[in-house]
Amino acid sequence: MGKRKFYDFCVHAVPDGDNSVEELASLARHFGYSGFALTNHSDKLSQKRPALPSLEGFEIFRGIELVEENPSKLHGLVGKFRKNVDVLIVHGGSEKVNRAAVENSSVDILNHPSFDRSSGINQVLAKSAADNEVAIGLNLRAFLHSRGSRRIHLLTDLRANLDLARKYDVPLVLSSDAMSCYDLRSPRELLALAELFGLEESEAFDALSTVPERILARNRPSPGNVREGVEVVEEVDFL
Amino acid sequence: MKRLMPSLRSKKRYLAFELISEEPVNRGELVREVVSSASALLGDVLASECNIHVLGFEAGNGIIQCSHTKVTETRAALAAITQVNRARATLHVLGVSGTVKGATEKYLKTHVVFEPKLRAAKE
Repeated sequence: MGKRKFYDFCVHAVPDGDNSVEELASLARHFGYSGFALTNHSDKLSQKRPALPSLEGFEIFRGIELVEENPSKLHGLVGKFRKNVDVLIVHGGSEKVNRAAVENSSVDILNHPSFDRSSGINQVLAKSAADNEVAIGLNLRAFLHSRGSRRIHLLTDLRANLDLARKYDVPLVLSSDAMSCYDLRSPRELLALAELFGLEESEAFDALSTVPERILARNRPSPGNVREGVEVVEEVDFL
Repeated sequence: MKRLMPSLRSKKRYLAFELISEEPVNRGELVREVVSSASALLGDVLASECNIHVLGFEAGNGIIQCSHTKVTETRAALAAITQVNRARATLHVLGVSGTVKGATEKYLKTHVVFEPKLRAAKE
């Protein structure tokens, strides 16, 4: 087995977060990531498309985290941004938004689904998330920055969602949700936290490596791709 | 008191780490933060099983000792540190070893603490 590649699929840079993309990228590479997705919130985007710096041995993917309360407007935004980004995240937090996100197969990840006293996911949403291959995001920033009752509630919600995800086979994505470079954690540390929170070792690995790779493969068709389901694997000269 | 025989001493692991922080931090401040983070995240019972000690900390690098069966829990407790003495910080474990000498020679000898601002400017 080759060396696993790790990806952090939720990182916020200037103007949404505190640090520049270059600073975040150099630290993430130092920590051992193979790449991350820059996913600024859609209500805090800069006017022009920022140029992504290139680093040797490190990939930065274009992404976005959509913040929208109205489901029909959300579907509109998904359609608008889908072509331009590799990773499309929806910032959940109400029943309507969560439902709209898991029912739209163009969405890659649903973040922060919990609201009030609910974990944000039930068996109906879990089933459609599995059907549409929408992953549930586990964001560690909230867990690190809270203590006591708030963290206990977050962990309870996480357990509930984890049970549903296991039952209905919903993919999970582990990410830092970093707002500054001090929110980044190395892959090993994320895995240790995830294991402590109740994920199996293999589940944590998948959430940081396999599922992100699958999302990329889906949104970045290989050069041999003819159409959906048809791909030129190897060209052979028949003469 | 007579020292415990080597075979009866508890087995340990040594974690070499670097602390990336906004402001320089001294050992006492870090120790306080490590203990409070471990007790908040793991609870006092599990934190005591981890047997966490900050052995040395100088210029951003250091070594933390923990029980050999509780490396994951210790790592998680260290990752849960978000600030030290009101300055934002992140603790990065460079490697784990069975001896202090091993941890120092393998991970700390040539290591320079990472500073995102400086590195980004260079590249």
